[in-house]
Amino acid sequence: MMDDPHFGFIVAAYLAAFIVFVGLLLWIIFDYKAQKQLLAALEASGTRRRSEGDKR
Amino acid sequence: MNLAFANPGRFLAFIRYAIPWLAACGALIAALGFYAAFAYAPADYQQGETVRIMYIHVPSAWLSTACYGIMALSSIGTLVWRHPLADVSAKAIAPIGAAFTFLCLLTGSLWGKPMWGTWWVWDARLTSVLVLFLIYCGILALWNAYEDPARAGRAAAVMTLVGAINLPIVKFSVDWWNTLHQPASVFRMGGPTIDPSMLWPLLLVAIGITLLMVALHFAAMRNEILRRRVRTLGMLAATHEMKGIVE
Repeated sequence: MMDDPHFGFIVAAYLAAFIVFVGLLLWIIFDYKAQKQLLAALEASGTRRRSEGDKR
Repeated sequence: MNLAFANPGRFLAFIRYAIPWLAACGALIAALGFYAAFAYAPADYQQGETVRIMYIHVPSAWLSTACYGIMALSSIGTLVWRHPLADVSAKAIAPIGAAFTFLCLLTGSLWGKPMWGTWWVWDARLTSVLVLFLIYCGILALWNAYEDPARAGRAAAVMTLVGAINLPIVKFSVDWWNTLHQPASVFRMGGPTIDPSMLWPLLLVAIGITLLMVALHFAAMRNEILRRRVRTLGMLAATHEMKGIVE
């Protein structure tokens, strides 16, 4: 396959797919960590949803 | 069962277990599919090895419309039933669908150059997929244009349902117009025209990537539920601060 004249196009297509998929994955992982941190900071300050009972 | 998962807390408990299983099964099936695509599937008699691009291009194309279908169903849930998770689902799937549509366009272009001699033509299939990508971008912009997620959800739901008219155009563009893009060769009346030695690896990759897409969707929905909790708590904290200043 490597001696195919269009080998570069095949590699570029799979590389693009890999980059897009890993990009999506990393975005979701970092977003999750960011939201968990924000939530933890707010809960540490004593703020609770009404359903969980507000401590203030 | 659907109503049980309408509660975000129960849904979060469910996806905590579902995401790792979906991701593991999806990765395994996709890996098997790619292995079969490169080790067992033959080169095409006309396209040669370039046909290997099909194993990433076609699943991306299917998922670009499938994600839009999920977004349209979620939008109905938002507008008709005000389902608590419907607009969370719609918002979470939008960037994933946009990513698969972008990938479909990019890999299609990389396949088109060596086979057609051009990166792009304004034929009906390519143009309708580009329009699909632009609709995704518009919906993403709309989600970010409103401060209140409920208002953004309703506006995005209306735009999503209006844009859904493009889905049959994408699917049937190759039948309705004379296009450079080939007609359907898998999901068509009369069965697939593609040889089983290429069809099975393609289906394996498609199933694997679909499971991975569902795992990503659930994970993005979890992020959105957390974002809304952060917003609610932030507003509560601000209210308490205001009360403290007044008192």
